[in-house]
Amino acid sequence: MEIKVNIPKPILSRRQFLQGCSSAIAAMAGARLTNLAFAKESDATDTLVVVFLRGGWDALNVVPPIDGDDRGFYEKARPNLKITDLLPLNEQFGLHPALAPLQGLYQDGKLGVVHAVGLNHDTRSHFDAQEYIELGTPGSKSITSGWITRHLQEVGASSILPAIATNGAPSSLLNFVPTVNLNNPEDFSQWGNDLIASQQAALRQLYQGESLLHRAGTRTLDALKIVSPLVEKEYQPSNGAAYNEDELGQQLKTIAQMIKLDAGLKVAAVDFGGWDTHEYETDGNGGYIADLLGQLANGLSNFYLDLDAGYTEKLSVVVISEFGRRLVQNESYGTDHGHGSVMLALGGNVNGGQVYGAFPGLHNDQLYDHADLAITTDYRSVLGELLAKRLGNSNLENVFPGFSGGYAPLGLFR
Amino acid sequence: MTTPTRPTLSRRDFLRFGGALATTSLLAACTPQENTSAPQTDGQTQTPFNEPPQAPVNIEAPLAAIVLNRLAFGPRPGDVETFNALGATDEARLQAYLQQQLNPETLDDSEFEARYAQAGFETLHKSLEELYADHVANNPYDTNDDAYWDWYYKPAYELVDATFLRAVYSKKQLAETLADFWHNHFNIYLGQDDGVPLIVSYNRDALRANFFGNFRQLLEAVATHPAMLYYLNQNNSSDAGPNENFARELFELHTLGAENYLGVRDPNTVEKDANGIAVGYVDNDVYEAARCLTGWRVDDDLGEWEDGVEKTGRFIYYKPWHDRFNKLVLGKYIPADQEDQRDGRDVLDLLADHPGTARFIARKLCRRFISDTPPDSVTQAVANAFTENRNAPDQLKRVYETLFNSPEFRQTFGQKIKRPLEAAISMMRALNSEFIRAPSGIPWMIGLMGQPLFERRSPDGYPDIKEYWANSMSLLFRWNFAVGLSENWLDDEEQNRTVRTDLFSQTPAELRTAEALADFWIPRLLNQPVSNADREALIKVLAQEYAPSETLSEEHVRYALPAMIETLLMSPSFQWK
Repeated sequence: MEIKVNIPKPILSRRQFLQGCSSAIAAMAGARLTNLAFAKESDATDTLVVVFLRGGWDALNVVPPIDGDDRGFYEKARPNLKITDLLPLNEQFGLHPALAPLQGLYQDGKLGVVHAVGLNHDTRSHFDAQEYIELGTPGSKSITSGWITRHLQEVGASSILPAIATNGAPSSLLNFVPTVNLNNPEDFSQWGNDLIASQQAALRQLYQGESLLHRAGTRTLDALKIVSPLVEKEYQPSNGAAYNEDELGQQLKTIAQMIKLDAGLKVAAVDFGGWDTHEYETDGNGGYIADLLGQLANGLSNFYLDLDAGYTEKLSVVVISEFGRRLVQNESYGTDHGHGSVMLALGGNVNGGQVYGAFPGLHNDQLYDHADLAITTDYRSVLGELLAKRLGNSNLENVFPGFSGGYAPLGLFR
Repeated sequence: MTTPTRPTLSRRDFLRFGGALATTSLLAACTPQENTSAPQTDGQTQTPFNEPPQAPVNIEAPLAAIVLNRLAFGPRPGDVETFNALGATDEARLQAYLQQQLNPETLDDSEFEARYAQAGFETLHKSLEELYADHVANNPYDTNDDAYWDWYYKPAYELVDATFLRAVYSKKQLAETLADFWHNHFNIYLGQDDGVPLIVSYNRDALRANFFGNFRQLLEAVATHPAMLYYLNQNNSSDAGPNENFARELFELHTLGAENYLGVRDPNTVEKDANGIAVGYVDNDVYEAARCLTGWRVDDDLGEWEDGVEKTGRFIYYKPWHDRFNKLVLGKYIPADQEDQRDGRDVLDLLADHPGTARFIARKLCRRFISDTPPDSVTQAVANAFTENRNAPDQLKRVYETLFNSPEFRQTFGQKIKRPLEAAISMMRALNSEFIRAPSGIPWMIGLMGQPLFERRSPDGYPDIKEYWANSMSLLFRWNFAVGLSENWLDDEEQNRTVRTDLFSQTPAELRTAEALADFWIPRLLNQPVSNADREALIKVLAQEYAPSETLSEEHVRYALPAMIETLLMSPSFQWK
């Protein structure tokens, strides 16, 4: 069977639109905005950046076994999908070569890897798994707030810019109304002519009220005041960091800008999709998943480099996906939904340079449901340790109801 | 058709952005007429944190506003009057309206049809086979050439344009809202890896041809459509290794829903109903169903190496790939070596007949047309209609009738907010905006609101609850869309496409005070009164330094009226559904 190649699809992009649209809007997109000063805020706790990889990333091709019996089981199960020329992490595991930009961060102790981690619940549904993880209540979707919502409400979130989501509205921030959702600061400006101040005054009145919509409108007016100054001049990343023009790179660049505002940003939620690799996952060590991993590695390494200007000591990034994938490749040269996964942690106070978590093995008897990598570390143990050590929140039971008995920190954070 | 001249704005004229917000001079607080009694609960507890609890929104609105905002993409000028003329009572009007909308072939749609003809679509008339032959199999360009991809995507982009055209101008509004509902329910993605040109056929031949008909037929039309087979990898599923992607979403998203998923469990432990059918599904059912569906694929042997496969782009049952052995799905034994397609059809029969499917579809329809958290009373009534009519050729019509005739349909206005697509379309309808081929700014801005048309990548469709849409980026671009539309800033010069809104020709010339203009435009756009404080705030936008009752110059009206109208479109009252 021929191996199909993924060819970039010309979905209408912002740039194409700006080329095609009237010069009026094109001019507006680069317009200067009125600066509004606000007090800088300092905070003892980290800024948390959660990168959610939607679709279920193939953990066993991200951090494959490098040697031993498990390497044998892995190669046997994946004759066409196995990754070679790994970047060694230790004697047992290596990184996919497309993650090369992260190797230095691992060696410097800034990046830690957790293997066989995940949502310990019997679901192979993307949507259930994502909801359970983000709501923080495996097995139940009835709670009306996300785990980050409860965390921020626990520690207090009175800063001018407590939380941003750069791609949609993730359930981890469900019903956290102060969240500012924006793709990038350039887009986040209000259109209008010189009556705009009158319109905003009227909107303040019209959006007075307690419903979700009323509060979101008021929040939008507030957010415009915060974000407008950012459009003043083109952002210059520090240390020569060069973000890709891709979706993830631009989201991380936006977050770096927001962190450098010193406006009390406590949480940023990043979405990066496309990991549902049911077919044609690889082309040797290249191909579809290598492209995704390359974007991930480029984004994270440039983000860290950009913030390595006095901000990394208070930075904690976690990378998570809803589940890993089946050990055995399918007939479409892809992998189906699985169970155990890999999480990454990046930051100035990560005990990096190690692979955490007990690896349960890839022998058939060691697999979950005789099919998938089993889970030995609950994802809430990783996040719980982060909450306690870096985010000033020891009320684990509030953030993850019913979990405190299972909490088993790995020593991943200082 | 009006042909307004384009205002020549200098860069300075519109590059004044929001700075000093008049936050200190707010007028007295007064929310719209909200009925704070009888909050709809979903058996869920609102977590009390430092955010104030959400006030439930129940808004008194005339039936015309409820119907035209829910069964249509909002009223165009004259629609409310037309609705009210349908009968002497609300009941009579609703019945007459439903009669028309549920039988759309009876409606005179000549205005839309004239525009559609003028739009000059080149690919939308093509059959599935023609789409595949012209744009895939015999695409005349090289894949390294941009022309290949332009030609490949042309049908899908024409469908996007045609969808905007229909949503704004067609009288068959229920069909348009249902097309949106069912595309999201059986979602496919405009950027998917294969079969993109076939989306045109999917929309027309699978969805529109069936969503007033029988659910079982709709389900099979979807499950055998090549666009869906490609999207969920069914096209590569063979007995050598079934790909479970389609089978899983068939259960989880298309029929039973995650609410009937019992997880990774021994199927023998699942409770059965009186007919021996499992009450819910487990992973094993997904795997067995995937086996039943092996061999359901597209006739797409572009490399000309498979025996018995051509390259027509049609659905085929490819027996060499079918798993011929017996299976067990939802407790039903499916014997080996059944006739062609029988195994898969047994699965579809089981799912379409299942009471869990009736409840799931009913709840989803009620969530779309009634409330984010629809009361169980109406969900159950709609589910009953689904089940009772499951063998009727117009099953879904009966289901919609039950829903729209329910008391809950009329008592819940304001429990939903418009999704971005609905907000943008309803603005164009309310302002009588004029276009033939939508300039690219329209889809681009709806994308910035978070809902690019046909571009939901995951198979679940866009969320249908306000928590997802009441966020700052999405709201800001709703507001910006109101401005772009009213100020005529959305033209696409490169493609020579325009959208024109002439606010002045729609404003009676004798209205010359801010008060009178506000009192004309507020009911025209909102179909409901606003509080005094809101009215005063709107008048202020228009009056500026003049008194509300002072006669304004034509120059001033031309300067400030669009800003007031934009503010009306940005207001919460315009977002309720």
